[in-house]
Amino acid sequence: MLRITGGRVYDPANGVDGQIRDVCIADGRIAAAVGDGARTLDASGMVIFPGGVDVHTHVAGGAINFARAMTPEDHRRTVAFIRTQTQRSGLGGMAPTTFATGYLYAGMGWTTLNEAAVPILSAKHTHEELRDVPIVDKSCCVLMANNEIVLDLLENGELERAKQVVAWQIWASKAYGVKAVNPGGVAAWKWGKDAKQLSETVEGYRKLTPGTIITGLAQIIDELGLPHPLHLHCNNLGAPGNYTTTLESMKSLEGHRAHLAHLQYHAYGGDDWNTMRSETEAIADYFNAHSNLTADAGAVLFGNTVTITADGPWQHLLYKLTGRKWGNLDVENETGCGIVPYTYRPSNIVNAVQWASGLELLLMIKDPWRVSLSTDHPNGACFWRYPEILQLLMSADFRRDCMAKMSEEAKRRIRLPELDREYSLFEIAIITSAGPARALGLSNKGHLGIGADADIAVYNQDQDISRMFSHPRYVIKHGEIVIEEGEIRATPLGRSYVIKPQYESTIEEYLRPLFEDCYTMQFENYPVELERVEHAELRNCIPAE
Amino acid sequence: MGEVRNRADLVIYWGGNPAECHPRHFTKYALMPKGKHLPRGRKDRTMVLVDIRETKSVKAADIFLQIRPGRDFEVLTILRAIVKGQYVNPAMVAETGLTIEQLRDLVDRMKRARFGVMFFGMGLSMTRGKHMNSSAILTLAAELNAYTKFVAMPMRGHGNVTGADVIMRWTTGYPFGISFDRGYPRFNPGEFSTVDLLVRGDTDAALILGADPGATMPQPAIDHLARIPTIVLDPKVTHTSRLARVHITTAVTGISAPGTGYRMDEVPLPLRPALKSPYPTDEEVVRRIHELVRVKPDWLVHQPRTTQQVF
Repeated sequence: MLRITGGRVYDPANGVDGQIRDVCIADGRIAAAVGDGARTLDASGMVIFPGGVDVHTHVAGGAINFARAMTPEDHRRTVAFIRTQTQRSGLGGMAPTTFATGYLYAGMGWTTLNEAAVPILSAKHTHEELRDVPIVDKSCCVLMANNEIVLDLLENGELERAKQVVAWQIWASKAYGVKAVNPGGVAAWKWGKDAKQLSETVEGYRKLTPGTIITGLAQIIDELGLPHPLHLHCNNLGAPGNYTTTLESMKSLEGHRAHLAHLQYHAYGGDDWNTMRSETEAIADYFNAHSNLTADAGAVLFGNTVTITADGPWQHLLYKLTGRKWGNLDVENETGCGIVPYTYRPSNIVNAVQWASGLELLLMIKDPWRVSLSTDHPNGACFWRYPEILQLLMSADFRRDCMAKMSEEAKRRIRLPELDREYSLFEIAIITSAGPARALGLSNKGHLGIGADADIAVYNQDQDISRMFSHPRYVIKHGEIVIEEGEIRATPLGRSYVIKPQYESTIEEYLRPLFEDCYTMQFENYPVELERVEHAELRNCIPAE
Repeated sequence: MGEVRNRADLVIYWGGNPAECHPRHFTKYALMPKGKHLPRGRKDRTMVLVDIRETKSVKAADIFLQIRPGRDFEVLTILRAIVKGQYVNPAMVAETGLTIEQLRDLVDRMKRARFGVMFFGMGLSMTRGKHMNSSAILTLAAELNAYTKFVAMPMRGHGNVTGADVIMRWTTGYPFGISFDRGYPRFNPGEFSTVDLLVRGDTDAALILGADPGATMPQPAIDHLARIPTIVLDPKVTHTSRLARVHITTAVTGISAPGTGYRMDEVPLPLRPALKSPYPTDEEVVRRIHELVRVKPDWLVHQPRTTQQVF
């Protein structure tokens, strides 16, 4: 039992905007009151946030683990965690090791994360890694938009059967949601091709287009009633002029729910790299007018990182552009992935446009409930740099200081200099916690109402926003103090949220022969057994009538 | 491997003898199966074998390219030059043991393939040039993607070595050759690799799991293992057990103990035991040893928590 007194509470879901009030905790949850025997934390001069929720990150599984192998030069220069009785050793940096990932997230007050890209074929691997990410609670999205069994069904218009297959596959991978990456494009990449336009036929198919895949999956997910909508990485990522593809994708989603991942990478104008500019206004205008959509920013910060995505063709292009290391993984019949280390430079106009676009979207999207903070870790920047973005959002002067170092040419291509909006702490609590929790459909997260999970971050109020959010005074996970003044006090295992959608058991009879025809694994070995998911917590779907 | 099975119409083995070392590779994945996009199976694929000698794998190959020992790097580099249409010095070609026509034909086939794959074995990665050779073949594959889809993959063996590699990476960031002597992982192959530590005599105890260094390592390393307290966990008596202080018999993973094996392409496969074993699993033995070690005082107790606090 715990009582936190004297702090300013920011709990947007319950309309609490900086009022000083007590927060009581009993049995790992927020309680109305606790007895006199409860430990009391004096939070005078501090602010109290619900624990951060990351709606889109890449922290576990084959792709990030490949990135770790590819970047030993970064591991040496990074912060290392030294083993103690309570803490495992590990490395931070561009692609942190699993234990360090948990410590770093919790170390800045984040307590829940959504691993955004899991192939079914290696979902066992992802869950094994997630088990080794301590403290935080986890969920994951399974990759579907290039799964050949699903694509064949969509090609033939067999939507009902596709729904059964998708439901079976979600349960087989013990996932929480469905991610679509470059629909059709990764499948085309198996032939070295891409799918850039929504209405173009996907390589290797007769009539299937990325547009059909997107609407088909969105409809299936709505009908299954998954708590998190279709998690969409649009086609044509990163390319100049791609905002038209993004607008088309958003239009095709009318009537369905969808979450647009790392929107910044999909908001560019221009015809080529020399003329690339920000088109965030067009994206934000459409987005503001359509409440069926949520998004995360995918913001970019200058510096070194490693880019990893299931978008194989894009990574091949990035390798050709940079001439740096390139790793490619193809996952049979399902998806693929590419890895390229990358440095974002303020002197590079393309990078400057990317940096500004992420912030512009966060500032131009009016409803903070529908846009979450993300860097598409590690693609735009590493997650442990979130406090730097919060500082940029809360201070227009600081943004101007940063832009002063940019070239005039770069400034002509962005909208950021015109934007004066500054985020309040209340809005920060929305984009870092309350909003992403709502987008994920996690009703027990992102707020401090009675009965909610007692995941809480307590920060010293500080003029230096970046310092404030980098070093919480206390972090509480499920009622237990895990971080106290920068020290890790406890490293409990987090839970994994898993969805079991309804499907007809006969679907296995349909899948088995198809599977045996084209996979190199036994059908029985394909699904992840529930026992392999540590602290699994099943969540329900609410199927559409 | 599934993509290779379903799509690869050009299969190149380099410095390996899969017919004897990976006997299921041809039949299950790379050569014989009818794939989704290769309905005639073997007939739809071309197999090229590059090696320094004729092995049993030659029989399976459509084209065998015998190169001079130690010339892998040169051949790969010349291939990269031909791919890009650059000048090639005939004297250098002559040294490889192949003709320029053979090399041009190979490049031509590579560019015409719809999906090409190169599997490379220890005949490439562990001979003269070592990691430079691996780097050259990976670069060649990367550059071929300017023309068609091309991939390269090492032929790994020795049980679940891929699994060990994968887990070391997610827990420490590095695949092997890791030292924890400062309380956090550091990587330096050649300094921290097992064989180097043993040859230098830097270790004062050894725990051997799922390996038999007594059969494979150089004599000075084996001598050192015999000098220090060596503990072996293995279902059977190995060469290393004979020189170890302690041998603990464990259950056989996949037969009488559960677990996960990682295939050479890092696809995880669940291992389900068919039999019961009277012996404990490796995991249980290590856990029990760890429980006893844990209660000993922490030698790093007054140390900083991160390197940020050190430097």
